[in-house]
Amino acid sequence: MCDHANKNIYLPYLTTVAEVIDETPDVRTLRLVFQDEQVRDSFSFRAGQFAEYSAFGAGEATFCIASSPTRTGYVECSFRSVGRVTEELRRLEVGDSMGFRGPYGNSYPIEEFYGKNLVFVAGGIALPPLRTLIWNCLDLRDKFGDITIVYGARTEADLVYKRELKEWQERGDVRLVKTVDPGGAGPEWDGKVGFVPTTLEETAPSAENAVALVCGPPIMIKFTLPVLEKLGFSDEQVYTTLENRMKCGLGKCGRCNVGNVYVCKDGPVFTAKQVKAMPMEF
Amino acid sequence: MQKYISQQNLNTLLDKLIAKGTRVVAPRMNAGIPLYEPLESSAKMVTDQLPRRSAKEAFFPVCEEIMSYEKEGQQVKLTDVDPARFPETVLVGVRPCDAAAIPVLDAVFSWDYKDEFFLERRRKTTVIGLACTTADDACFCTAVGLSPAETRGSDLFLTPLDGGGYACESYSEKGEALIADNGELFSEPDNSMPLPLAVPQADKVDLKKVKRWLDEHFEDPLWDGIAVRCVGCGACAFVCPACHCFDIVDEGTEKAGKRRKSWDACGFWKFTHHASGHNPRDLQPKRYRNRIMHKFKYYDDKFGQTLCTGCGRCVRICPVGIDIAAIVDEINKK
Repeated sequence: MCDHANKNIYLPYLTTVAEVIDETPDVRTLRLVFQDEQVRDSFSFRAGQFAEYSAFGAGEATFCIASSPTRTGYVECSFRSVGRVTEELRRLEVGDSMGFRGPYGNSYPIEEFYGKNLVFVAGGIALPPLRTLIWNCLDLRDKFGDITIVYGARTEADLVYKRELKEWQERGDVRLVKTVDPGGAGPEWDGKVGFVPTTLEETAPSAENAVALVCGPPIMIKFTLPVLEKLGFSDEQVYTTLENRMKCGLGKCGRCNVGNVYVCKDGPVFTAKQVKAMPMEF
Repeated sequence: MQKYISQQNLNTLLDKLIAKGTRVVAPRMNAGIPLYEPLESSAKMVTDQLPRRSAKEAFFPVCEEIMSYEKEGQQVKLTDVDPARFPETVLVGVRPCDAAAIPVLDAVFSWDYKDEFFLERRRKTTVIGLACTTADDACFCTAVGLSPAETRGSDLFLTPLDGGGYACESYSEKGEALIADNGELFSEPDNSMPLPLAVPQADKVDLKKVKRWLDEHFEDPLWDGIAVRCVGCGACAFVCPACHCFDIVDEGTEKAGKRRKSWDACGFWKFTHHASGHNPRDLQPKRYRNRIMHKFKYYDDKFGQTLCTGCGRCVRICPVGIDIAAIVDEINKK
């Protein structure tokens, strides 16, 4: 946590863009290094937490921290340029300054996953909130059982972290199942064709001693949860993240609530059981 | 400690504070509209009208700078806001409904992360409440468990007396200190009686019962019925003493500018609009439901308090006549 006692809680840290990676034509990853050496050395977070990223003059945007807490000295975010702030963030080049406020929110209870099999299910741009945990787990590989990743996007071009997908595919200790929607495959596509829920069903990971971590567009989540149920996963075994619009990230500005649950403080990580208990307001 | 202070001595006290450099904020007319604003003289204070907006802006301004930035090539310099710039303030002539909302707001601005913009002003402000001797049709403080003589949130509380002047009761160390520092202006209570208090007409509601109904009725035909006419102007939130939702926006050029925290309203469609185009509260009834839920359920779930003090401002200002008191009353009677 930031030490913000008696300080301006809205003041961001300054970071420098150290690397710019184009994931897809409209999704970009930025690697950020804290300018203050002390912050660089002491900053820590947990997988699942999020931050407010500033493009000065445009404002702040909320994304998860996409890099793993095991990789220190920098943080990464991945975003699609769809609005005023993200368009500005997209214009940043290596060496430019950017603001970072965080880490905020809860996190995946990774210690509870020790000794278990992990099933990651992601769709499209929603891989970043799982990628932080995937690398976190891969960097502590001995602590976990089998790791299965089912990841899909509309087209081959829409898959993010392509270099990492290749790395995961080549590792002997991860089962990566990648898929694209029907019509989305190019001539050299070496993955599956089909929607994520269907592909998950075909992959049929066992629910025995396992947890499933699911992130994706609402429609994907909607069709994935029944598949997991069919595979024997209870709602307590399934985790997801909610991503409501936020401004402060601190439990004050009042917009990210789903019923009386504040996504910024009570989330963004929830079990399927918790999500099902919420009113339909996300 | 109960004391007496005459109107003349109250004016002398305020003028003395102003002369000393204390910011004295009180209801005054501004372009024909009563507002809580700084006084340059006690003569400007008006005590017979409810200000258009609440007293919360003495702690939580409509719009305030939270930092500034300057860019030089690839470097950015950030300048923090110095909390020392918040002046010592005496907020006087505060209506009980406005004063009672201040400790309610303490909860959200001080839990977990501390919002020093609010809290530092709070520490530096002495609140002098004033009992109400008149009420209009929209007043409903008594319906939500408060009263025209509610002292919650006041450091000193003034009750108008039939013989002129005020009975003055202290409720905090700040209040005691103000009396002690200006002892010559206060005297022992005399025999005059308080003027009759205002009598708001709304029936008392059982807030626990209202909350219980809200706990079970996120989906209910009531929401469509009451909010289909809402135009989403947000005026209700802007005049409310307890609404505290805000936006954070940058204002400036690519080279330099300020980041500001500005009042926002859950009635605006953009409030919860995602960059993807998805909006969890895509229709006005869903947004109005959030307003009622936040005030009478969510804030209670989280902080054990109700986010409404019955000032009636939202009822008076709503361009389509939505009456929150009537809605709460309707829920209470279910």
